[in-house]
Amino acid sequence: MADPLHQFKIEKLVDLPDVTLPGIGTVDLAFTNSHLAMTIAFVAIIAFMSLVTANAKVVPGRLQGVGEQMFGLIDNLTSSIIGHEGRKFMPFVFTIFMFILAMNFLGLVNIPGVFHMFTATSQIAVTATFGVVTIALVLIVGFAKHGLGFFKLFVPGGVPWPLLPVIIPIEFASFLLRPLTLTLRLFGNMMGGHVALKVFAGFVGAAAIGGIGYLGILVGPLSFGMVTALTALEFLVAFLQAFVFAVLTTIYLNDVVNLGHGH
Amino acid sequence: MRRAGLEMTGMASPDPHAAPSTSTGASETHATTSEAEHGSAGLPQFEFQHWAGQIAWLLILFVILYVLMSRVFTPRLRKVLDERTNTIASALDQARKVQEEANAQAAQAQADLADARAKAHKMATDARAKATAEAQARQAAEDARLADKMAEAETRIRASRDAAMAHVATIASDTASAIVEKLTGAAPKAADLSAALAAVKEGAR
Repeated sequence: MADPLHQFKIEKLVDLPDVTLPGIGTVDLAFTNSHLAMTIAFVAIIAFMSLVTANAKVVPGRLQGVGEQMFGLIDNLTSSIIGHEGRKFMPFVFTIFMFILAMNFLGLVNIPGVFHMFTATSQIAVTATFGVVTIALVLIVGFAKHGLGFFKLFVPGGVPWPLLPVIIPIEFASFLLRPLTLTLRLFGNMMGGHVALKVFAGFVGAAAIGGIGYLGILVGPLSFGMVTALTALEFLVAFLQAFVFAVLTTIYLNDVVNLGHGH
Repeated sequence: MRRAGLEMTGMASPDPHAAPSTSTGASETHATTSEAEHGSAGLPQFEFQHWAGQIAWLLILFVILYVLMSRVFTPRLRKVLDERTNTIASALDQARKVQEEANAQAAQAQADLADARAKAHKMATDARAKATAEAQARQAAEDARLADKMAEAETRIRASRDAAMAHVATIASDTASAIVEKLTGAAPKAADLSAALAAVKEGAR
């Protein structure tokens, strides 16, 4: 309870035999709390989208309205940034957005003493997978559309040629850093928020059991207020980080879809 | 647990004496878990033995979710949104059409009203003209009838006057004859009498 990092600990719920794959090594197939969180998010999204679209009417109900808002958010995003080709990539961006959003929100589910939901997006393994999948799609689209012309991405138009030896390495490095920044931004935000929550909650606990003496009278209520405020902030962050990830995914896709037009 | 709040500050820095983290399991008490955690190196996120399983599972879920999104959910929502756009467009279109129709009908009604008014005006004018003409005709007929009657009456008056005048001559001759007979004792001759009467008549004119 006191350790703010304990909440990120992977715990095996169902242990399955390890398998040894050539080139990768031993893989632990255990179904962990992280797997459970991902699966619940996955099921929740499918349930939500099914409810939204199963009986979709021209005049939407409340739930359908929420679903359409999210759909419209990402649809506007892709079509305004990428243009008319944005529709092709909309399902991908929407999937990423919904998946991250669901996992972020699920991480805030906490019934004290009964059940504490694991935050899958606080795992680098998870956020890195999203980052790599995104950049992999960018690479695939780039090479499929432009072939070797993809490398023009690192040569911005309108730059005087003496600057090119400087610009090209910078552009190349920034491209290489994209999956890393995608990974770390989401991971850092989710983990930082949860650590902060836990630290202040720990102060409340310490004050309540008298662990810090009379100082607790002052620290307890203050920390309790902080926890409350931070929880509200975390809801904002949970949505914002999913949205930011979606926006950056769209921008990176736009770079290769409209290569040479927007630079 | 007593030092819980104070312990936390030292938590993030890795402990050089730490043994690699072993899965402690959920069955242990919080206190012992905390101790074990305290001994582990760094963040739980860097326990790489858990990575492959998570990544593989996430990729599987992601692919399934992507296929469902792109094949089922997105087209369904797109269809509904398009349908709504069409419904709104057609409703607006229809409203515009109905509005135009209403405007046309209003203009038609206006025209009809003006027409009717003009017709009524014309009818009134006609009726007045007709009435005037009839009245004039009747007046003329009456005038003519009255003129006829007057002429007839004048004729009758003239006839009776002529008759009376004719009688006057006879009476004058008779009277003159009687006067002359009384004065002279002898009846005058008819020729003399009429010549004298003629002379008197002449003198009277």
